[in-house]
Amino acid sequence: MSAVLQNLVNQPYKHGFVTEIESDIAPKGLNEDIIRLISTKKNEPAWLLDFRLKAYQQWLKMEEPKWPNVKYRQIDFQAISYYAAPKPKKKLNSMDEVDPELLRTFEKLGVPMHERAALAGVAVDVIFDSVSVATTYKQKLAEVGIIFCSISEAVHAYPELVKQYLGTVVPVGDNYYAALNSAVFTDGTFCFIPKGVKCPMDLSTYFRINTEESGQFERTLIVAEEGSSVSYLEGCTAPRFDTNQLHAAVVELIALDNADIKYSTVQNWYAGDEKGVGGIYNFVTKRGLAKGANSRISWTQVETGSAITWKYPSCILQGENSVGEFYSVAVTNNYQQADTGTKMIHIGKNTRSTIVSKGISAGHSNNSYRGLVRIAPTASGARNYSQCDSMLIGDQCGAHTFPYIQVRNQNAKVEHEASTSKIGEDQLFYFAQRGIGNEEAVSMIINGFCKDVFQQLPMEFAVEATKLLGFKLEGSVG
Amino acid sequence: MSMSLVNSNSYLESLLRGQPRLPPSPLAWFNQLRANAVDHAGRLKLPTTRDEEWRFTDLSPLVRQSFQPALAAPALQAADVERFSLAEAAIRLVFVDGKYMPQLSTPAERLGNRGLIVTNLSSAITANAEAIEPHLGQYARFEDNLFAALNTAFLHDGALVMVPRGAAIDTPVHVLLIATQPEVASHPRCLFIAEAGSEITILEDYVSLNDAIYVTNAVTEIAVGDNAQISHIRVQRDSTEAFHIGNCAVSLGHAGRYRSVSVALGARISRYDLNTVLDAEGAECAIDGLALINGRQLADTHSSIDHAKPNCTSRQLHKCIADGSAHAVFNGKIMVRPGAQNTDSAQSSRNLLLNAKARIDTKPQLEIFADDVKCAHGATVGQLDSEELFYLKSRGLSGAAARNLLTYAFGAEIIDRIPIASLKYRLERTVLEQTKKTEP
Repeated sequence: MSAVLQNLVNQPYKHGFVTEIESDIAPKGLNEDIIRLISTKKNEPAWLLDFRLKAYQQWLKMEEPKWPNVKYRQIDFQAISYYAAPKPKKKLNSMDEVDPELLRTFEKLGVPMHERAALAGVAVDVIFDSVSVATTYKQKLAEVGIIFCSISEAVHAYPELVKQYLGTVVPVGDNYYAALNSAVFTDGTFCFIPKGVKCPMDLSTYFRINTEESGQFERTLIVAEEGSSVSYLEGCTAPRFDTNQLHAAVVELIALDNADIKYSTVQNWYAGDEKGVGGIYNFVTKRGLAKGANSRISWTQVETGSAITWKYPSCILQGENSVGEFYSVAVTNNYQQADTGTKMIHIGKNTRSTIVSKGISAGHSNNSYRGLVRIAPTASGARNYSQCDSMLIGDQCGAHTFPYIQVRNQNAKVEHEASTSKIGEDQLFYFAQRGIGNEEAVSMIINGFCKDVFQQLPMEFAVEATKLLGFKLEGSVG
Repeated sequence: MSMSLVNSNSYLESLLRGQPRLPPSPLAWFNQLRANAVDHAGRLKLPTTRDEEWRFTDLSPLVRQSFQPALAAPALQAADVERFSLAEAAIRLVFVDGKYMPQLSTPAERLGNRGLIVTNLSSAITANAEAIEPHLGQYARFEDNLFAALNTAFLHDGALVMVPRGAAIDTPVHVLLIATQPEVASHPRCLFIAEAGSEITILEDYVSLNDAIYVTNAVTEIAVGDNAQISHIRVQRDSTEAFHIGNCAVSLGHAGRYRSVSVALGARISRYDLNTVLDAEGAECAIDGLALINGRQLADTHSSIDHAKPNCTSRQLHKCIADGSAHAVFNGKIMVRPGAQNTDSAQSSRNLLLNAKARIDTKPQLEIFADDVKCAHGATVGQLDSEELFYLKSRGLSGAAARNLLTYAFGAEIIDRIPIASLKYRLERTVLEQTKKTEP
């Protein structure tokens, strides 16, 4: 039985291939000149260059964080190329004009763009390496006044909006990787939902790292004005390489009065081979500011990839009665390491937060939940409920829980629960009795374990996530 | 004995100053242990809030004071300590400012308990060196613990309890540590050894005669042999101006049982580190704690339960009640080592905030490296339940009485687990008194 499990766990990475497109690559290394080069290449206004340089100055003064429960070789930030763009052949007017090589890549990934757009009704803003190549459904969204475009486009088309919000949730000097991102980000997504608009479809961006040794630094900014709502999907897959790649993204969400932002991620970057060679270093800062009264920010993530994941999607609950949610499934296998969790900072009165985290570790991997629930003295009537469950598959892996609970208000109520379990022989036996084979049984048990999180995902993503866990773990228990 | 201080921290220097006056022991290993500790104490830095383990406990008020080692202890009369004595505990060791007081103590040999040794360390160490050497300084590691290093650097006396093989002692042992002088740093040391199949109950009791500012830096080492049991009660009732740093390290043998109840009521800043290693199969520990603090007190409890071997069980319930602008900290780490299958561990941290200015920081922490385990932890922070208050009021209790009763009941759950009736009664009175002070 464990051989079956082994097979399932060790499924080769299906998305490992390199697309050969001529890339316009900046020389390796990071200094002010490179930042100026990025800024010039992207034809940016002076304020954005100042923003980058300020971040760079802060970054120079900072040290790489040492507290996460992960181990890796020191990253040489001077050995990374900070800008890579596919060379523009000509202006694109329709999908047919998109580089066929590129389209084939998406096909291999199983995302035929026009089909996907037509069938699923999803507007896909494709980021290929750093420059956005094609954007669909833009008109349809524009009709209701929603802005959904690449952030470099937004800098030119809506400079006031970008300037007003960029860096307000994650300041340039917030942490080491956020500062690095603020200095060198090349592209990303900007999304603006005006007052009272309910976004008619799920917005989605497909991220892709392509050029070897080019770190990717996306920047996502989503603003939901009073009474609006949006659901945003982020999905990742990366091709197979043996040198480690750095991915340091920043995501900022801002929800004003009565606004509602739902952010879902399925992350399946290349995790390295079974010996732990290669794989993506995923050091991401994600934070939402529930600024207005009755606003709501909800993070859902399914983390299955990356050699190292270091990510804490957080909510700052500033508005009265605002709500923060975090639903996470993190799966690690082989030599993967994940240190992930959330922060719920309660500032406003009667703010509420829910944390549901499910960690599954297999192989030689280490999976940590690290969470912070802070109740400020002003947050009277605040309420938090946290639940983090771990499942261990095999005796070589580790599961860790580090929940920080800091309460400075006597009217708050905070609850935290954690448990650890494994798939029991008796459970498998029960399934076998009912004529269900081990493989299927394990898949069902794991899906049951993750159910609370999966049901938060939008439909298509839930299907994808279930499949992904199937690849990674189905049968890995014995 | 010479010592070199690499650390320029004048505070540490002043703390170490008294050390060279200690007479060398005839035992070479003992002198070596002390010399190693001096060496480490000189090298280690005072922890700050930038150290993860001390993140919520700021020791700067401690550094602002200067402390001297106690040169002489006042000669207390039996009447002075009478109020601390317990009816059940006929065996008693009394230390005043860290100095052993034979005239106030009732060591075990006087009671004629064959084989049981309860006495001060320095009087028994030469005769029992062989039994003591494998334990003393072996559990409370000081390589990266400044306070344990300081304590060991000053090591020359302390409380010693050795229970012989198979002996079940039904009389509790009372180790009473009294602080009397201001600006004194004392370094009490306890060593409790229960040999295979033995059983004992020990009370470690820290009290003060006044409101002086002093620092107590205690280290306790406990070795529970195969199938032996130690019930360890630790009560800290220091002056509310004092500093109390306690380190306790426990090692358990095959099917050994360790039950601990620690109660922190006093001290301006108190810190208690309890490290339990379940070092053989079938070992069990039950670790309970209560911190009841008020005013500007800070009580920090760090516990670590290390499941080093398979088939061990641990249970922990820690409660904090913070009133005034007090600050309670709890950090409970449970470690399950690779191969420690069939571990069964449950931990619960429950906290009650009674004042808007009070503050709680809790972190129950699990680190698991084995797959066939049952581990659960939970933490709650809250206030008194309004429905429970309403119920009591509907039965005719005043608001204050209802609050008092509920707070008392919250704390009593821990105190109930103390196996010494008169102490339990006394502590329940204390909790009741303290909760009465609570303002609505």
